[in-house]
Amino acid sequence: MADRARFLENVRHRTRTGRYKPTRAPDSVWTPKGAPVPDPIADPVARFLEELGAVGGHGARVQSLDEARDHVVSLARERGAGALVRWDDEELAGFDAPLAGAGVEVAIWRDLEDFRAVAGLADVGLSTASWAIAETGSLVLESGPGRGRSVTLLPPTYVAVLRAERVLGTVAEAVGKYAGGRLPANVCFHTGPSRSGDIEMSLVTGMHGPGDVHVVVVG
Amino acid sequence: METRKPARERDTTDRRREGIESPVEGFNERGGRAARDEALRGALRLFATKVVPARNATLAALPEAPELRERAYRIKRETMANLDRYLEEMAEAVEARGGSVHFASDGEDVVRYVGELARRRGAKVIAKSKSMATEEIELNRRLEEGYADLGLEIVETDLGEWIAQLAGDTPSHIIGPILHMNAERVAEILSEVAGEELPPDATVLSRFARGRLREKFLTADIGITGANFGVAESGTVVTVTNEGNGRLVTSVPPVHVVVMGIEKMIPRFEDLSVFTRLLARSGTGQKLTVYTNFVTGPRGPGELDGAEEFHLVLLDNGRSNLLGTPFEEALYCIRCGSCLNVCPVYRQTGGHAYGSTYSGPIGAVITPLLKGDEEAKDLPHASSLCGACSETCPVGIPLHDLLLKLRNRQVEEGMAGKTQTAAFKVFENTMKSPALYNISGKLGRAAQRPLVREGTVRPVPGPLRGWTGSRELPPLAPKPFRELWRGGI
Repeated sequence: MADRARFLENVRHRTRTGRYKPTRAPDSVWTPKGAPVPDPIADPVARFLEELGAVGGHGARVQSLDEARDHVVSLARERGAGALVRWDDEELAGFDAPLAGAGVEVAIWRDLEDFRAVAGLADVGLSTASWAIAETGSLVLESGPGRGRSVTLLPPTYVAVLRAERVLGTVAEAVGKYAGGRLPANVCFHTGPSRSGDIEMSLVTGMHGPGDVHVVVVG
Repeated sequence: METRKPARERDTTDRRREGIESPVEGFNERGGRAARDEALRGALRLFATKVVPARNATLAALPEAPELRERAYRIKRETMANLDRYLEEMAEAVEARGGSVHFASDGEDVVRYVGELARRRGAKVIAKSKSMATEEIELNRRLEEGYADLGLEIVETDLGEWIAQLAGDTPSHIIGPILHMNAERVAEILSEVAGEELPPDATVLSRFARGRLREKFLTADIGITGANFGVAESGTVVTVTNEGNGRLVTSVPPVHVVVMGIEKMIPRFEDLSVFTRLLARSGTGQKLTVYTNFVTGPRGPGELDGAEEFHLVLLDNGRSNLLGTPFEEALYCIRCGSCLNVCPVYRQTGGHAYGSTYSGPIGAVITPLLKGDEEAKDLPHASSLCGACSETCPVGIPLHDLLLKLRNRQVEEGMAGKTQTAAFKVFENTMKSPALYNISGKLGRAAQRPLVREGTVRPVPGPLRGWTGSRELPPLAPKPFRELWRGGI
């Protein structure tokens, strides 16, 4: 505690005694010109799907949860998935039987003895999402009981299902949902497949996280 | 890239000791060597020609960008003016959420904290996500040396950082750590790890790295990250990565340590709507980084993953010396790297020439400020003062003004050297006296006669060689304007 007091006292002393106060605000004429400014977001879901596609993700819009389930089952079939791990979420509970019918072993994120083994070996991770952001094609994921972070990270294919009314317009709106409140231990704005351009600027997807990202919007 | 040197002929010296803790003299020599390396310059050109237009395009498509920039500047200014209060608020918020906070005045302090933590946890493997602050204090080397008895395996998990670590190299750009290496060199490094020949193909090499690093994520006892932002009101640490390694390192290992420079602080969560919109656009031209990850304390009750222990280490290491001084704005930096990309000097020399963790214009400013002028005296001169850096900076740091102020400070501290001081004294006296000025003109015209070729002065020998060797010096006119004027033009 003595260290902390001394540390803060030093900072306090310097901010109070320093005579220099920066006053030079940056120029307001700054933005480069020439690129088209996107239209205001009239249909957030359509814009979300478009932006998600632009960053290399795959979006689908369906009318009901049943259709979403069919979409996920056929996706798991296409990928030849043997194991899927999903959030412990009521909305997804109805997915288990049809997935099992398609030969996919489903693990639910609760009371797992070793989450690393389960999520690490799964072919598909399945979750819901708190929000989505139309402007950027992002999902907003909150951690919590039954809502493992690893589900969205470790399997090579990741699918999120969310309702159309959860799609927000802008990043500022999404930030506003958490401003001033108590945050979950983890929130993530997840925008498309994991990627790297470190080797000669060549774009590689699926670097550490999933390279195959799907979002099914219901409604 | 037009010419590529075979990988084995390229410079592979161990640069690990050149963090900010070690001296960084000799920019001119290293920069000169780098500027003659065609392969390096090709790589730099490739990087800049991809990133700069992408940055321009995404910012142009954001009509509120100028306003965001101004807000970012003002938020940072307010933060620095009350930094003690925000640091305290953040520490209390983290502790209220069950995390631990340590205030570290220097690198040694961080090494001790992390080393003792590793000892208590019986840790063997530490997975790190890219962090400039830990590069600055050379955390990896000092942990390996100072806590050799623990036998720690410290693994960088950002693809570029991992490859640099394997090669005994340091990152040469904030965003593109190995942009100085071509695919052949990367293949050579990774083939050695694989024990088999890997082709110089980015996809194959990345797949191999994914497999190797996945093991590390799953077995790591401790995850270490830096922080892009620390939110005072909520105690939230924000890290952004495209690869997902930042999110993995904070989600899978049982312990998460954040090493955060005190200048990363922002007061409120809502301020992030300003900074997240600027950071990715300025850094890579993306609208948002793939994983923008917000961690607030350890995992909550009933959560299976996320760290059970959360440690925030707040690092000073010379930063507080800048508060309240004319150099305070250097602390506003959000490490997007865009000043490097537009800098005509960086684009010729690359990052290693700077010999510091931080390169480019911001590196030339921050390195002497953190290490002292004597340690990095070349760096404030590694600029043409064209101002491209100040113009591109998303938080409006007047970088080239700061470089000039640093040059001034060198002169005030008597670092200019006797020759330079004497030369300027002569210049001052000559300019003050019309008679001397007249004579100097006549002398100059006589002296330049043997040197003028095709309208310019040839490189002259002696102390002016450095200047005339790389610039076109126009000769003095045969008749000065004053004489023309008197004679009636």
